[in-house]
Amino acid sequence: MTTLSLTINGRAHGPMEVRDDLTMNDFLREKLGMTGTKFGCGAAQCLSCAVIVDNADGTSYTSPTCVVSAASFNGKEIRTVEGHAKNGELSALQKAFIDHFAFQCGYCTAGFLNEGQVLLERLAKKPVSRADLEKTIAEALDSHLCRCTGYIKYHEAVRDVILADASRYLRVTDSGGDRR
Amino acid sequence: MKSQMRIKFPVAVVALLTSMLTAYAVSSVQSDSLATPESFTSTADTEARSAAIFAELGKVLTHPRCVNCHPAGDRPHQGELGRLHQPPVERGADGLGLAAMRCPICHQQANFDPGRVPGHPEWHLAPRGMAWEGKTLGEICAQIKDRERNGGRSLEELVHHIGTDSLVGWAWAPGFDRRPAPGTQKEAGTLAEAWVKTGAVCPTR
Repeated sequence: MTTLSLTINGRAHGPMEVRDDLTMNDFLREKLGMTGTKFGCGAAQCLSCAVIVDNADGTSYTSPTCVVSAASFNGKEIRTVEGHAKNGELSALQKAFIDHFAFQCGYCTAGFLNEGQVLLERLAKKPVSRADLEKTIAEALDSHLCRCTGYIKYHEAVRDVILADASRYLRVTDSGGDRR
Repeated sequence: MKSQMRIKFPVAVVALLTSMLTAYAVSSVQSDSLATPESFTSTADTEARSAAIFAELGKVLTHPRCVNCHPAGDRPHQGELGRLHQPPVERGADGLGLAAMRCPICHQQANFDPGRVPGHPEWHLAPRGMAWEGKTLGEICAQIKDRERNGGRSLEELVHHIGTDSLVGWAWAPGFDRRPAPGTQKEAGTLAEAWVKTGAVCPTR
């Protein structure tokens, strides 16, 4: 058994005793009832189970939850799909997903949403040129699988959020600053 | 007389089966073990003995637990058959993966068997210059002797690395149904030491 304390969507959980063989996915879904994080392949291949981990230095990354222990998240701050909307209002990315009909069955959506959000926050700190944007989005979403094949819609939704606030996410290029 | 035969026949069958099973067990143990340096003393020629000792060490170096993370390309392999790693991760600039898919995100401090994921605090891909995949034992031998391609290690440091490095040691405690490398890390270190002491001669092939 391990004593686990962590912060999820800004709320402290624990300390509580968890089994060493408990996966983070089971911890979220079965212990806390946070079923927005899905269980897909169980082998970290589809990343429908991905959550956001926030580092102390302000950077973030996504982590699968199906193949890693709950205990390994001790002391960490994470965000799940349940934490994106604020005061009942969906985030810009969530709205864009809906506007683009990005998801069909929705099973992979939480993973794509978390990955897209991490990308937005990364670009806000370190913008890229418009010329590099498509590649940057593709690389960020590359590891996520969608059995309904919604890849293009997800890509377009993320791109729209970025272009809608280009001065925040895109670098002014040497050739005159065309951010469109 | 007939009753004695009736007893002897089943006993003989049981004895035969037992000896077959024992032989099988011994042979399977032997395939997962390493010969000691002393077992090569019958080879009088020192160079030949050195190369033979390296060939024995090669059972470890060419084992899937080692080669899978010494790939020729930018993607690690996994499993006994060395198939490409899934999910499709890549080497990245530092051998720790690309920005959105870093090795330590899944590969934690230790093996996590419920998720079937191996782990170690320093889990990463061997540099491209240390690729062993697709090479002969002779080529691997020449490579790991070459400071340009072995991380700048002297032969003594190489012996220490093989015999004591904890990431190398993972190969003997791989977790979840993975076949460990032959022998023990200590035995592999002893072989490496004996190979160096006999001149660090490489096998011709």
